[in-house]
Amino acid sequence: MSKVFDIALKDLTRSLRSAMALMFMFGIPLLVTGLFYLMFGSRASQGEFNLPRTRLVIANLDTDAPRLQSSSGSVPGGIQANTMSELVVNVLRSEKMADLLETSVVPDAASARSAVDSRQAQVAIIIPNGFSRQFADPYGLAEIEFFQDPTLTLGPGVVRSILSQFMDGLAGVRIVVNVAMDELDPAEYGKVAQIVQQYLDTSPMNEEDLAESLLDERLATKPESASQQNARSLIRILGPFMGGMMVFFAFVTASSSAESLLREQEEGTLQRLFTTPTLQSIILGGKFLAVFLTVLVQITVMFLAGRLIFGIAWGALSSGIIVAFGIVLMAASFGIFINSLLRDTRQGGVVFGGLLSLTGMIGMMSVFAMNAPEAGNLGNTVSLLVPQGWAVRGILQLLDGVTGTPLVLNTMVMLVWGTVFFSIGVWRFNKRYG
Amino acid sequence: MKTIEVQGLHKSFAEIQAVRGVSFSVEQGEIFSLLGPNGAGKTTTISMLCCLLRPDGGDALIMGHSICKDPMGVKSVLGVVPQDIALYEDLTARENLTFWGKMYGLRGSALTSRVNEVLEVIGLADRAKDRVAKFSGGMKRRVNIAVALLHKPKVIYMDEPTVGIDPQSRRNILDNVVELKNQGMTVLYTTHYMEEAQELSDHIGIMDHGEMIACGTHAELVRIVGELDRISLLVSKLTTHTGSETMLQDLRGLPGVHQVDLEDETITLLVADGHQLLPAIFEVAAVQRIKITRADVLEPNLEAVFLQLTGRALRD
Repeated sequence: MSKVFDIALKDLTRSLRSAMALMFMFGIPLLVTGLFYLMFGSRASQGEFNLPRTRLVIANLDTDAPRLQSSSGSVPGGIQANTMSELVVNVLRSEKMADLLETSVVPDAASARSAVDSRQAQVAIIIPNGFSRQFADPYGLAEIEFFQDPTLTLGPGVVRSILSQFMDGLAGVRIVVNVAMDELDPAEYGKVAQIVQQYLDTSPMNEEDLAESLLDERLATKPESASQQNARSLIRILGPFMGGMMVFFAFVTASSSAESLLREQEEGTLQRLFTTPTLQSIILGGKFLAVFLTVLVQITVMFLAGRLIFGIAWGALSSGIIVAFGIVLMAASFGIFINSLLRDTRQGGVVFGGLLSLTGMIGMMSVFAMNAPEAGNLGNTVSLLVPQGWAVRGILQLLDGVTGTPLVLNTMVMLVWGTVFFSIGVWRFNKRYG
Repeated sequence: MKTIEVQGLHKSFAEIQAVRGVSFSVEQGEIFSLLGPNGAGKTTTISMLCCLLRPDGGDALIMGHSICKDPMGVKSVLGVVPQDIALYEDLTARENLTFWGKMYGLRGSALTSRVNEVLEVIGLADRAKDRVAKFSGGMKRRVNIAVALLHKPKVIYMDEPTVGIDPQSRRNILDNVVELKNQGMTVLYTTHYMEEAQELSDHIGIMDHGEMIACGTHAELVRIVGELDRISLLVSKLTTHTGSETMLQDLRGLPGVHQVDLEDETITLLVADGHQLLPAIFEVAAVQRIKITRADVLEPNLEAVFLQLTGRALRD
C-alpha cells in the first residue's frame, strides 16, 4: 500500500518542480487577482480617495401610499418620511450616502430609464405605485425595480448592497409587526410600537442609529476610514473573482496533473512500472492520488493566499474545509475522466484549451453576473450545467457565510459529479492497461 | 538448470502475427541473444516474457514462474532494461533509483545502501544529485540499466540497450553485461547488431518475421553456411544476358567455387577462400568485358547465416 504513496509523492514532486505547472497552479490565478486588486485596491488605499460616486436616479410612483403611523423620531436614523416609499428615497438621499451616491429624483419611470440609457445615471430605482401598501399588507409583495447600466459592476453593486440591506432590515420590522398583530388582542394593538422598539433594541443591527446600521456595514457604529470602507467593498467583489479563478485553475491543474498518465505512457516509464512487482491497481491508484494531492495543495495555498494577501474572508474554517474537499475531489476526478478519453498528450493540448476554457467560463457565469440581476438568475442556472459551476457556487456560499445544509448539499452534488467522473475514468484506464 | 523456458509463444495484433510459435531455453548464468532485424518480433517476445503483453498462445517459465499464471512471481525475479530510456528526467539520479527501488519492494537502509552501491557500479556516484535531464545519452543509459539491477534480479532482460549511443558508452554497457554474467545473472539480450550478439552470447536465437529461424551457439550457427566464404559481386547494368551467362559458367569453373547465383545485378559465390580467389574472378570479368562495380567478401558469421536463411541481409 505504501507504493501508492510513493507513486503519488513522486508525481507531486515532479509537479512542484515544473515551472509551467507552478505557473498554472499559483502564478496566473494570483497574478490576475493581484492585478484586479491593484487596479482598484491601490486606489482604495490612498487615504482620501473614495470609489467614484454612483449616479442614481429615483422615480417614486407610489402616490397613494398610506402614511406611516410612527413619529419621525421612531423612523430609523431619525430620517423624516411620511410613507414607506418616501423613507426609501430619503435614506438613499441622506447625507450618510453622499459619499457613495449622487442621487436625484425624476417624476416618472421613463425618465429614470432614459437617464440610465443616456448614461446620465448608472442606476435607476423605480418604486411602483402601491409599494407602501404592499409593504403594509402582511401577504403583500413589495417590489422595487432596479435598472442599471449592464456594462458596470462596481457602482450598481454598491447600490444593490445598500438597498438590499435596508430592505432586509425593514422586512424584519414588518415580520415583527405581523407576528405582534397576530398574537395580540385588538385592544392591545397600542403595544405594537413598543414591541417594535424592543425588536430594534435587541437587533444586532440596531445600535445608536438603525438607519446607519441598515444601510451598510461601513456605516455601522464603529467608524471606519473611507479607505477602509472602500477596501472592504473591494474585497466583497474580489472574493468571488478570486474564487472563480481558483476553481478555473484547479480544473486546469487537475487535468494537467492527470495527464502524467499519458506522459508516462509516452516516456515508457508507465510500461516500466508495469514490469515491477506492483499491481496495476496500485500503480493507477498512486497516479490518481497524485492528482488529488496536487489539487489539494493548490486549493489550500490559494485559500491562504486569498486570506493573507488580499484579506478575503472565506467564512468559517469548517465550511471552508467542506467546500475545498468537494472542489478537490470533483476537479481531480474531472481531470482523470478527461485524460481517460484521450489517446495521447498531443490531443490533450487541444482538448484542455477548448473544453476547460468553455466549461470554466460557463462555470464562472454566476460570478460575472453577480451584479446584474436580470442576467444573474440565468447565469446561476447555466453555470450549474458544468461541474465548475457547483464549485463556484460553493465558494460564493462560503463568502456569503452560508453554513449547514445548503453548503453540505452543494458539496454533496460536487461529490456526485466527482464519483461519476472518477468511475468512468478508472474504468477506461483499467480497460486500456488491463 | 534452465532459468528461462519458452514454449510456443504466439502473439498477434489484429491481422499481424508478431510472434509465431517461438520456443527456446536459457541456462542459468548464460547470455542469450535474440538477434534479428527491426520488426522481427524480438521486443514483442520480450514484452510477453516480462508480462507486459499476454500471449495468445504458449507459455514461458522464468525461474519456475509462469508468465501466464504467476506474473507477479515473474516480475519479482526479473530486471528489465527497456529499449528506450525510461527514467524521470526531472528527478535526480538518486531520486530515480530510490523510487524504482521502492517499486521493487526495497525499503529503508537496504534501499539506501543498494542505491549507493549501484551508483558506484555505474560510475555516477558524484552526479547522484544531478537531475537526469542534465545527463548525456550514455549516462542516461547507465542509469537506465542500474534501475534494473537494484533488487539483484536473477534474470535480466535487456532490449537493444546500445541503440543510438556513442562507441564509448556502448563499450561500457557491453562490459557491464559481461560483468552481470560473471556475477551469475542470466541475461536475455536483444539486438540487431550482429557483432554484439557474436561477442556477448553463449547462445543466439535468430528471429525473422516473428519466428525463431535458428538457435544455437555461434559455432553451431556458422556451421549452417558450411564455413564457406561468400563473395558478392555487383556487376554493371550494361551486362547482357548472354554475357552474364557465359561469365557464370566461367566462374563455376574456377577452383574452390561451390555455388554461383545471379539475382538482378548481383552475383553471389560460395567459395572456400574468397580473398585468394578474387584476382581470378576479376580476370574472368575482364575477359567477358563485364564491369564489376563492387565486390564484398563475407567470411562465415551471423550475417552470413541470416543471409543464408532468409536471402536478405540483417540490416535490410
